[in-house]
Amino acid sequence: MLHTVNRSPLSSNSLYSALRIAAPGDPLLLLEDGVYAAMPGAVWEQAVQAALAQHPIYALGADLQARGIERLIEGIQVTGYDGFVALVEQHGVVPWL
Amino acid sequence: MSANKVTFLMRHAPYGSVYAAEGFRATMGIAVFECPLCIVFMDDGVYALAKRQNPTALEMKPLGEGFPTLGEVGVSEFYVHDASLAERGLTPDDLVMGVQVVSSAQVADILHTSGTVLPF
Repeated sequence: MLHTVNRSPLSSNSLYSALRIAAPGDPLLLLEDGVYAAMPGAVWEQAVQAALAQHPIYALGADLQARGIERLIEGIQVTGYDGFVALVEQHGVVPWL
Repeated sequence: MSANKVTFLMRHAPYGSVYAAEGFRATMGIAVFECPLCIVFMDDGVYALAKRQNPTALEMKPLGEGFPTLGEVGVSEFYVHDASLAERGLTPDDLVMGVQVVSSAQVADILHTSGTVLPF
């Protein structure tokens, strides 16, 4: 399953719920305010680093650019809308709103 | 501080919801009446001041660069909550303008001495 997270890590527990439920190997896509989870140096960095050992994690480029996020936690992959569509085609989707 | 002072309490990230943009608009609206006001950025609200915002691909207008222009309508008190920055891995250098970084106790004092608190 593809897990999508569109809320920031400190405004909602969506990221943590997604990480708790996602099966090993399931990809995560960060979009909208969810892309803040990709920023290094924050209190959630260790949780995201641990998750990267089990899940590919993608962040939507347009949403990163909008928010001025240029540095990412190492291992997070930037994708575009085309990559978003490809992920949705390959997986069932669980949106963590 | 005076009883008619208005404090804008900004707690939401830009773009993901309308709160930050509407807070900015409301600040402009109140400021032109020459009402004393200040803006407090805490929680995800600190993201509104992040440098290098470029929401062109979202077909939205950049918000962060708007706040420094509020000086033109007499707004000069910008406060940013220190713990909100720290837990997000941010420092004042990451922000689009110089601000006064304040503690939780100082935020409490600002709110306590405001006549009105407008949340966004």
